[in-house]
Order: sequence, then C-alpha cells, then structure tokens
Amino acid sequence: MTTKYLFACAAGTALILSALPSLATDAPLVAAKSKPCLIAGWEQSAHTCVIHTKTIAATCFICHGPNGKSTGAVPSLAGQDKEYLAAAMRDFKSGKRDSTVMKKYALGYSDSEYDDLAAFFAAIK
Amino acid sequence: MSFNRRSFLKFSGAGLAAAVAPQLAFAKAGKPHVVVVGAGYGGATCAKYLRMWDPNIQVTLIEPNAQFYSCPMSNWVIGGMRSMDDIIKSYANLPGYGIKMVQDTAVGVDANKRVVTTGKGKKISYDRLVLSPGVEFMTDQIEGFDEGEAAGKVLHAWKAGPQTLSLRKQLEAMPDGGVFVIGSPPPPGRCVSGPYERASLVAQYFKRNKPKSKIIMLDGHFDVVSKGPMFKAAWKKFYPGIIEHRPYNLVTKVDHNSMIVTSEFEDVKADVINIVPKQRAGAICAAAGVRTDSAGVWCPVNGVTYESPTVPFVHILGDSVASNMPKSAHVSNNQAKICAAALVEMFNGREPNPYPVIGSTSYSATSDETSGPIAVVMRYDPDKEAYIRQPGGGAADVSDELNFAYNLSWFENIWADTFG
Ligand SMILES: Cc1cc2nc3c(=O)[nH]c(=O)nc-3n(C[C@H](O)[C@H](O)[C@H](O)COP(=O)(O)OP(=O)(O)OC[C@H]3O[C@@H](n4cnc5c(N)ncnc54)[C@H](O)[C@@H]3O)c2cc1C
Repeated sequence: MTTKYLFACAAGTALILSALPSLATDAPLVAAKSKPCLIAGWEQSAHTCVIHTKTIAATCFICHGPNGKSTGAVPSLAGQDKEYLAAAMRDFKSGKRDSTVMKKYALGYSDSEYDDLAAFFAAIK
Repeated sequence: MSFNRRSFLKFSGAGLAAAVAPQLAFAKAGKPHVVVVGAGYGGATCAKYLRMWDPNIQVTLIEPNAQFYSCPMSNWVIGGMRSMDDIIKSYANLPGYGIKMVQDTAVGVDANKRVVTTGKGKKISYDRLVLSPGVEFMTDQIEGFDEGEAAGKVLHAWKAGPQTLSLRKQLEAMPDGGVFVIGSPPPPGRCVSGPYERASLVAQYFKRNKPKSKIIMLDGHFDVVSKGPMFKAAWKKFYPGIIEHRPYNLVTKVDHNSMIVTSEFEDVKADVINIVPKQRAGAICAAAGVRTDSAGVWCPVNGVTYESPTVPFVHILGDSVASNMPKSAHVSNNQAKICAAALVEMFNGREPNPYPVIGSTSYSATSDETSGPIAVVMRYDPDKEAYIRQPGGGAADVSDELNFAYNLSWFENIWADTFG
C-alpha cells in the first residue's frame, strides 16, 4: 500500500512541481527499499525508513548544500558514488580518514543509515 | 512488531485520533493549511520543506520584515570583517515554492477556533500553526537597560539589524584606549558561543586599529562555556592582554549617563556597552499559551512533531523551544525539517517517524582567517521523551584556516537551504 501511494503521490508531485525547484521524490527510494529496516533497534516499514533517510539527508544539506549540492569549501554529496560515500562514513568513524566534524557525525549514525544516506545522495543527478 | 506503538501514543500530543482524523477529512475536502509565524531559520525552512515535500499543503508565512538580517555572520560585521549587505538575506525566492508571504506581525492566537490575528487586523485560520519567532529579551532583569537602549547607549545586537550597525559605529568612534564591555547571560539562550566569537573579532579590530583598548567580558556563565579551550587559546595567541574574561559576573544594572555597568560583584566603567539580556520564547508563544515550561520562559514540545503538549495543533521551532538542544540556526533549520516531515505524514494519515535525529554543527571565528567547530548528533528516544547526545560529539581545541573555509561554506549553504 505504501509503495502504491507513493507512486501516485510522486506522479502528482511531478505534475504540480514541474515549474518549481524540487527535491528528489520518495518513490524511487521506496521502490529500491522494499524491505523494512531497523531504526534504533525497532523494525520500521519501508515507508518510515525512507522518510527517516530523507529527513537525515536534509540535515546534511545544511553544511553540504541543498540537495547535497554545495557552493562552498564543504564537498558536494549529490551524484557521488554510493560505495564511496558509505565507505567514507565508515572511515571517518574508525579514524582511518581524518576529519574536522565528520567523525562526530559518523559516531551518531548506524551502518545501515550510512548505506541509506549514500544511496540517497548517489541518486541525485 | 513493526512499530513502537507504546511510544507513539506518548508523543502524539493531540492524540492520534484527534491529530490524524481531521486532517484526513480535510485532505479529502481539499488542501490542508499551515500558517508559519516568523521567516527566520526555523520558519522559512519549515515553510519551504512543507511545500517541497508535499505540494498539496498550503503554506502561509507571516513575517513583518521585508528582508532577513542574519545573526550568523553578524559578529563579522561588528568586527569589521563584513558589511551589513553581507548579512541581509532576501525573501524573494520563497513565493516560488508556493509559499504565501504575509508581511505582518502575528499578535494573537485563538487555539480553539484555530485562528491567528495579525497586527494589521487580519484573521488567518489554520489546520496547523508553526511558531518560530526567535527570542524576546527580558530587559526588565537589568536595571536601566530600557532607558540605556532608548538612548542608543546600551545595545544587545543579539537580533541582527540596526543594532548590529550601531554597535559597529560605536566601536569605530571609540577612542584608542577605550573599554568595550560585553555582558552575557547564563544559559539557556540564543547562541551560547556568540559572545566569545564577538569578543574575538572585536579584539582583532582593536589589535589592528586601537591597540591600547580593552574588552571586559562580564559573563553570567562560570567559564567560557562553549569552545572554551579553543577561544582561550586564540585569545592568548592572537590578542594577549586585550580580552579580560570575568566569569560568574552577571550584569544586573547599567547607567548610560555615567556609562557604568554593574554586575553581581563590581562596577565597570565603559566606553561602549553591549549587554545581552536573558531571553525567553518570542511573545507570540505567550499569546498562543505554549510558553509553558516551569519558569514560563520556553516552550516544551513533543520531540517527534514539535507540537505543544498542551495546545493541540500549535508547533514550535527554533530558539523558542524548551530543550537540551543548542539554540542555533543550524538546529532551528534541522528541527524545521523534522516538523515538516511529521506534518506531511500526519496530513496524509500516517504516523510520523518516531526516531528523528538532529545534527548540530556550529562554527565560531576567532580571527579573519581562523574558525573552529563544535558538532554533536542527538537522537530522539521516545521512551525517554528526549533527544540524547550521541557519544563522540564536542568542540575543536584549536581554530584554524581549514575550518575558516568551512565556516564560510556553512553560511552559504544554510542561506541557500533556508532562503534560496
Ligand atoms: C551574534 C550571533 C551569532 C550567531 N551565529 C550563529 C552561527 O554561526 N550558527 C548558528 O547556527 N547560529 C548562530 N546564531 C543563532 C541563530 O541566529 C538563532 O539560533 C536562530 O536565528 C534561531 O532561529 P529562529 O527561527 O528561532 O529565530 P530567527 O531566525 O530569529 O527568526 C525569527 C523570525 O520571526 C519573526 N517574528 C518574530 N515574532 C513574530 C511575530 N509575532 N509575527 C511574525 N513574525 C515574527 C522575526 O522577525 C524573525 O524574522 C547566532 C546568534 C547571534 C545573536
């Protein structure tokens, strides 16, 4: 039901928003993520997982630019390779890769959140 | 178990039935209407993301000012590194998202009828009301503040705008060898690291232009409480002898005729006076009946929806929120997105994500080429009904050039995200 709703919603969104600057819609992500996920140890529906990822990704926008497109010294995330982004988070966490703030962020998120965020940003053109 | 239902019931302020059922009915009938008060970091972000995430939602944004003066970077203006033009942000892009802008002040809220009244006498009804008015100053706690402010001799410059420019001009007019007094309140308040950044950047101006001048900080805190090691190291290295930090020294009185600032412990003679009073949630929060923490100063919220636990359909964002989160532009923008995502879910008859996450990063400049960050991730725990700081967060011990570049980048990206 969730997936069907979102496809319907996304189609509507595309029509209404065609003239507006719009962010990625949820549908491709829900479709890609047909399985439930765990958040804080609780199993959540695919829909909730997508909302969760989308909202955390929007947190990243503050430093990395709207939709992951930075206009400053902080790197863009949009369109980067998915594996590269997820590996970067793991390396920030372990300390293998140096960072100013990213280690502090990496410690606050789970491995599956790294993967979902990486997929989110990789999908942005 | 697909959902932590026990917790959900706790965080649904108006109760699930009450919260979702009318929205469903409304959704069928037409478009839900969200009224947002205040086009700052919380309000503008919320309005924009509501429209981007669900264009079926109608959004009205009430803001009296024609343009936004950003507090972030305003210390750079006071220190002479940037001009007023650099901190003025236009609202011109917001209507492009389908946001209806109303240039007016919200003055009253009828929470039963769900109607906001404006200063110009408009009545605007809402399905959900979002308040992000920033702070109001409790100037009555400092004897003589109001008179000094009216005379233009006592400034807070803790809302960016005309006072930012006045403070800059007073520092420029001050003779070499003068004393600049900064008074700051104990937490919680808007931007705890802000007074230390301000002292740093004014010290840089003094060092280059008025090297005999001094800064005396009368601090209501027990120490340099935010980025302490970083600020202290920078002051020692860059500005030896210029900044004197005096902790446990809450300002209680000011006399703008004699230019004496009085704290709990001493009288200090000043040439330029900058006192940041204690703050509380913006006045509209009191009018809406949501300024209900134990001191009647800040607004408690449900951490998933940012709805008031006592006044249904009213949500609060940003500095006005009672919580353990820093009162920063970064956090206000982040809360706005969590609230917007929750509203979209509720308007569509679904339960919001019960586990929101806040990321908080704040940069402070210590000179015109060095800055340093503090960062922490906070995750909402529905059982504890609180955002829990994740391990590993904290501040840098030194400021440097790389972080100065990131600081600049932060301004550009948050402005683009909030107003662009
Ligand atoms: C000197 C200084 C430096 C700072 N630097 C940083 C920084 O580097 N990084 C950071 O993250 N944060 C920083 N901050 C903190 C940041 O400015 C605030 O935390 C942030 O602005 C809070 O957002 P808000 O939405 O709650 O309020 P605001 O951004 O202040 O927006 C409130 C808006 O509501 C409007 N309003 C108020 N009442 C009404 C009403 N009744 N009707 C209609 N409109 C109304 C106001 O006009 C205003 O436009 C700094 C603050 C200061 C003072």
